[in-house]
Amino acid sequence: MIPSYSQRAEHSYRYLFWGSVIPLVLTLIDWPFRAILTPSNILLVYLLGVFFVAIRFGLWPSILAALTSAAAFAFFFAPPIFSFAIDDPENLAGLAVMLVVGAVTSNLAANVRYQARVAEHRERRASALYRLSKALAEARLEAEIIEIGVRHIHAEFGGRNTFLFPDRNGLVRYPDEPPLSISLAGADLSIARRVFSNGQMAGRGTDIAPDETVVYIPLNGSTGTIGVLALEPVDVRRIFLPEQSQLLDTFVNLIVHALERAKLAEQAKNATLKMQAETLRNSLLSSISHDLRTPLATIVGAASTLETDEDRLSKDSKRKLVGAISEEAQRMSDLTTKILEMARLEAGDVQLNRQWYAPEEIVGSALRRLDKKLKARQINTQMADNLALIHVDAVLLQQVMVNLLDNADKYSPAGLPIDISVETTPVGLSITVADRGPGIPKNLQQKIFDKFFRIHAESAQSGVGLGLSICRAIVEAHGGSIQAVNRSGGGTLFQLRIPILERPPTIDSEEKGLIL
Amino acid sequence: MKTTGPLLLLIEDDPQFRLLLSTTLENQDFRVSTAATGREGLTIARTQQPSLLILDLGLPDIDGQEVILRLRKWSGLPIIVLSARDQESDITQALDNGADDYLTKPFSTAELMSRVKALLRRVAKLPGGGAQECFQVDELKIELTRRRVFVGEREVHLTPIEFRLLCVLARNAGFVVTHRQLLEKVWGASYIEHSHYLRIYMGQLRHKIEADPARPHYLLTEAGVGYRLNTGEN
Repeated sequence: MIPSYSQRAEHSYRYLFWGSVIPLVLTLIDWPFRAILTPSNILLVYLLGVFFVAIRFGLWPSILAALTSAAAFAFFFAPPIFSFAIDDPENLAGLAVMLVVGAVTSNLAANVRYQARVAEHRERRASALYRLSKALAEARLEAEIIEIGVRHIHAEFGGRNTFLFPDRNGLVRYPDEPPLSISLAGADLSIARRVFSNGQMAGRGTDIAPDETVVYIPLNGSTGTIGVLALEPVDVRRIFLPEQSQLLDTFVNLIVHALERAKLAEQAKNATLKMQAETLRNSLLSSISHDLRTPLATIVGAASTLETDEDRLSKDSKRKLVGAISEEAQRMSDLTTKILEMARLEAGDVQLNRQWYAPEEIVGSALRRLDKKLKARQINTQMADNLALIHVDAVLLQQVMVNLLDNADKYSPAGLPIDISVETTPVGLSITVADRGPGIPKNLQQKIFDKFFRIHAESAQSGVGLGLSICRAIVEAHGGSIQAVNRSGGGTLFQLRIPILERPPTIDSEEKGLIL
Repeated sequence: MKTTGPLLLLIEDDPQFRLLLSTTLENQDFRVSTAATGREGLTIARTQQPSLLILDLGLPDIDGQEVILRLRKWSGLPIIVLSARDQESDITQALDNGADDYLTKPFSTAELMSRVKALLRRVAKLPGGGAQECFQVDELKIELTRRRVFVGEREVHLTPIEFRLLCVLARNAGFVVTHRQLLEKVWGASYIEHSHYLRIYMGQLRHKIEADPARPHYLLTEAGVGYRLNTGEN
């Protein structure tokens, strides 16, 4: 820390005090030996004292010490004693020489002292810069860099400060992050905006708005001004002394470079993400365009045949064409629903509408939705007794069940049963859906949950390979897991586990009286 | 078209879909008034006194929910809402606001027809019959005033709450009753947030009435919305 101005004033008074006291102490020491020592010896002792004061306390204390020494010598040691008069011209000459030597050496010593102090300041500034650049080198995020900047500027220049950056509209404003305890709160944004637009310093100690208590310093980067540093100095000298203002400049430059670096890194990252999203979108487009176009071709074709050849078509052909339109439209509708569902889940944080539900009901409503499809299929449901309520998003979980049952129906030969079991285990609710289909090769049991993955890509089975990825997304949003394993005796078994996070609430028991 | 049947009001902003629905409905001997906006629809509802409203929730001027709320201030006109959004919360809100039934797009016109007819039948029944004495669908028979329930020949013994729950569903048979409505009617307004009561009693009721509680035949779940007592029509 640089001592403040008032501290320095206090120091110099103390130094002057020592400048006068040290010669008096030496006088006391010399006094008993006055018979043995010659006056020139005593003068040398005083000279030593002056040296000491000059090195330790600087120029003015040492001059005071020289004068005090001269007075003390004249009074106590040069005959006549106890009088300032000096009889012996030799003593007078000695005293004069001591004063001259004292003055010269004081000057030299004070110079040495000053140089040492300058060196010390330089070293301190260098180490402050080193600390800042080290901290900045480790920072990756813009917010980190700004925090480091605020802290280091506060430590070095003593003053609340804050970095102001333009928003999307190019208007400089306060950051959204919560301020640090040392952040400056009262910056004048209109001045900051002017500084931002013209890149010139403003505020206290400058030509523009000098009455402000805050200094506004533009953050000039390689591509122009990127923001404004608002700093409220406690002591202007710590900012406007040439070395200090140079140091502040360097600080600001370091911070600006770090910010630019972080921005570039961010841009590079975004570009990569964008590219990945692009690739994904392309694969999605190619995948769904096939699956949407095929039914559309049927619909458009059948509809135009009905429109133009109405009179020539037999009743039976008309019915077939209409049936095809309706069936294909249904297929498209299912597909669109799945794509939208996935998009919704993908869009980021899925808001689960968790409520208490009976597991039985989730399975039941899924089965009901597939009523028509599963009419001919034997379904065995095995429910544990007294299943507790679970706190889940029933609509989404029902979707999981629908997708699993739909898959089981699609991929296993007609006539073979589908088995559903529901039970509570120590780790949570476990639901399994098992079929007697061909099973899934072991190396693909993970991959089937990936988006757009289908075991037989161009098979006649409709679907884009989204059903299972939707399942996984939903189950994972519940903190659970889903996996596919081969069943003993052939077929696939899907198992989902939903952790029980909360104990089900209890209800007031009803009077057991039955009505009759 | 020389139709003389009940007048239906259709509020739907998409012209193609409006054409499709009005054509289909007119083919079934209904008279149809159409409106493309909520405000226009509300005016027609006031001036022409239709028997039933088919309302699309996504309208260009005022929200479909708002149309229901404004209409319910002065009219008990039966409402079927159409929603393209498969957000159950929209549907639940519409039903809680006073709509009677819902369909999510896309749906078959046959489905719409059966809903429209069922709703008109229910309205026709209300003023004359007063409290219905007996409800029967397939094997399930509920004697509302004598408070007895049978499945086939077997009498089922229900607790008072189970019976109240079944009654509310029976009075709205064929129509979805939202969780909120059930909680309010069976347990009272202070229980509206306690959906677990409903789940537990619905489970008990199913175990007493259904042959396979996991694949209910009578007490159907409308996921995220409510329950519907099956009348064998849908």
